[in-house]
Amino acid sequence: MQILLVEDDVEAAGHIVTALREAGYSVQHCADGREGLAAAHQVRPDLLIVDRMLPQLDGLALVQALRGDGALMPVLVLSALGTVDDRVEGLRAGGDDYLVKPFALAELLARVEALLRRASGDVRHVGVLRVADLELNVLARRVTRGGKEISLTAKEFQLLEFLMRRVGQVVTRTMLLESVWNLHFDPQTNLIDVHISRLRQAIDKGFDTPLLHTIRGSGYVLRDGELAG
Amino acid sequence: MRLRSSTVRLGLLYLLGGVFGVGALLWTVFLLTERAMDRQVDLVIETEAESLREEYRGGGLQRLVEVLDQRTDDWGRLGAVYILLDPQGTQLAGNLSAWPRQLVPEGNWSRFQINAVERGREIAHPVRAAVVELDGNRLLVGTDLSDRMRFTARLRATTLWGILTTVALMALIGWWFSRRVAGRVRGVAQACASIISGDLARRLPVEDGHDELDLATAVNGMLDRIEQQTQAVRTTFDSAAHDLRAPMYRIRSRLEAAMIDLPPGAPAQAAMQATIADLERVQRTLAMLLQIAQAEAGGGGAQAEPVDLAQMARELGELYAPEARERGLLLQVNAQQPAFVAGQHQLLAQLCTNLLENAIKYVPAGGHVELHVWHEGPRVSLTVSDDGPGIPSEARAMLLLPFRRLDRDAQAPGSGLGLSLVAAVVRLHQGTLELEDAGGEAGTGLRVKCSFASLPVPVPD
Repeated sequence: MQILLVEDDVEAAGHIVTALREAGYSVQHCADGREGLAAAHQVRPDLLIVDRMLPQLDGLALVQALRGDGALMPVLVLSALGTVDDRVEGLRAGGDDYLVKPFALAELLARVEALLRRASGDVRHVGVLRVADLELNVLARRVTRGGKEISLTAKEFQLLEFLMRRVGQVVTRTMLLESVWNLHFDPQTNLIDVHISRLRQAIDKGFDTPLLHTIRGSGYVLRDGELAG
Repeated sequence: MRLRSSTVRLGLLYLLGGVFGVGALLWTVFLLTERAMDRQVDLVIETEAESLREEYRGGGLQRLVEVLDQRTDDWGRLGAVYILLDPQGTQLAGNLSAWPRQLVPEGNWSRFQINAVERGREIAHPVRAAVVELDGNRLLVGTDLSDRMRFTARLRATTLWGILTTVALMALIGWWFSRRVAGRVRGVAQACASIISGDLARRLPVEDGHDELDLATAVNGMLDRIEQQTQAVRTTFDSAAHDLRAPMYRIRSRLEAAMIDLPPGAPAQAAMQATIADLERVQRTLAMLLQIAQAEAGGGGAQAEPVDLAQMARELGELYAPEARERGLLLQVNAQQPAFVAGQHQLLAQLCTNLLENAIKYVPAGGHVELHVWHEGPRVSLTVSDDGPGIPSEARAMLLLPFRRLDRDAQAPGSGLGLSLVAAVVRLHQGTLELEDAGGEAGTGLRVKCSFASLPVPVPD
C-alpha cells in the first residue's frame, strides 16, 4: 500500500512516516502543496494524507484539484484549526476523513487502516453480519450468539454493527464517538469505555472465546479470537 | 397587506385626513358658488323690478307696457320672465300666458314653475320672481332658474368627481408609498436577521438615488467595518490555533516516537504518559476556547439546519447514563416530543454535553440530574436540573465569562470554559439562558435553562 503524506512540519512528518512504515505501508513525503500535487499525479497513491495549511498550494485546493482530475483515492485531512466549520470545509473539498492536530499516532494509524479498507471494499455491506458464532441481522435488528438471543439497546446495537462491519480492524474511541454518536468533539470523560464494557458483558459473558478486545492506547477490535491478529 | 403593518396604518390615516381635507375644501367652494349665484339672481331681479318701477313712475302704465313688450323680446331669450295684470286681472303685457297659479312665497320672493313643451317633452322650468304692486296693477318680474340649476348640478357633479378622483389618487399614492416603505423595511429586516444569525457578509439593500430614507448605505458602511474586525479576530484565532497546535503536535509525535524505543515499564514512560495526558487537556481547553471564539464571531457562516433537541437529549442521556450511574447519580431524560430548532448540531450537542458534564462533576453521589426538553409556547426549552450544591445567585453572571470558576471548585478538574461555551452557543442561536435554584430557594441545586425559537417538524425527504 502506497501512502502520500503532504505536510510542511518536517519533524512531525518524520514521526508519521516512521509510524506508517512500521505499520507496513510504503510512504512518500512532500513538504509543500505544489510538490504534493505533482507527486500525487505521478505515483497515484492508495491514500493521501494532507495538511490543511500548506505553503505554495493550500491543502484543500490540492484535494479539489485532484478530485477535479478524477482521482478517487481516499484522502485524510489534517488540520490545526479543528472548528466545526473547518471540518465541514475539509470534507466538502473532497476529504474522506478529518483529524485535528495534535493526534495520537495510533489514531492516525486506525483511520488510515479504516480508509484503506473502505476504499478496497472491505467494509461489509451485507444484511447479516457474522463473526465466529456471533450473528447480527441488520434488518431484523436481532443479535444471537451460538444461537442464543442477545438483547441490546438501540445504541449498543449500532455500536456492535459498526464493529462487526470492521471486523479485525482497530476502531478508536473518537471514531466511535463520531460515527455512532455523531459527536465531533472530545467529551471530557472516557464515556466510550463504559459502553464498550457493557457491550462486552452482553456478547462475551458466558462464552469461552471473547470477541471484543481492547487494544491498549488505541481502541477496540472485534475479531474471532481463534484467528491470529 | 395586513392592517397590523404600521405603514398600512399610516397610509390609511393619511388617506382619511386627505379625504376629509379635500372634501371639506371642495364642498365649501361648491356651497359658496351656489350662494353667490343665488344672490346674483336676486340682484338681477331686484334691479329689474326697480328700473320697471322707475319707468312706471315716469311714463305711467302706457310706458311700462311698452318697455315690457320690448324687454320680453330682447331679454325673454335670456330667461327673464314678466307678466303685468291690471286691477281687474286682465293681462296687459309679459311673456307668460297667465298669472302663475301656484305661487309659492319665499320671504319677499316667490317661486313657481312654468311647464313648457320643448322637443316634444314637457319640461318644468323653475322660476324665482318678485311681485311689485303699482297702484293696483300687479307686475311679476322673475328669472328662469333652469340654466342656473343645470349649472349647479354640473358644478356639484364636478365637485364630487373631483373629491372622488383625489381620494382615488391619494389612495393609490398611499398604497404605493406604503408598499415601497414596507418593502424597504422588510428588506432591511431580512438582511438584519441574516446578519444576526452569522452571515456577516450580508448587506442591506441599497436603492438608487440617495434620499433621507437611504440609511442603508450608512449601515452598510458600519457592517463593512464590523465584518473586517470579525475577520481580523477570526484570522487571529486561526493563527493562534495553528501556532499553538503546531508545537503541541511536534511534542506529541516526538514523545510517542520516543516511547516506542523505551523498554516497557521504564520510569520515563510514566512521565511521558502524564505529559501526553496534560497535552490532551491543553488541547481540549484550546478547542473549547476556539469554539467559543467562533460561536461569538457568528458561527463562521455554517448553515443552520433543523436539529431535534429531544432526540439529541435522549442520545446524550444514554451516552452519559453509565458514567452518571458509576458516580452514584441518577440521570433522567424527559424528552418525548420532537423539538426542532434551527442551529448547528455539533454546537448544540456540545452545549448539552457541557451541562451534563458539569452536573455529573459537581453533584455529589446520591444526587439526581434531569435533562428535560419540551415545548413552551413557540419556543423549545432545554433544562438540566440537579440537586447539587447550586451556584450562589451573585456568581452566576460571572461564571458565564471564560476561565471563571467558583473558589470552592478550584481543585476540581476543568477549564472554566464549559458555561462560557454554553452562553456563546445560546447567543449564536439567539436563545435565552437562565441559571436558577432548582428547588426554588438558595442552595437547592441548579437549573440551567436554554430556550430557543422552535421550528416545525421537518417533513422527511
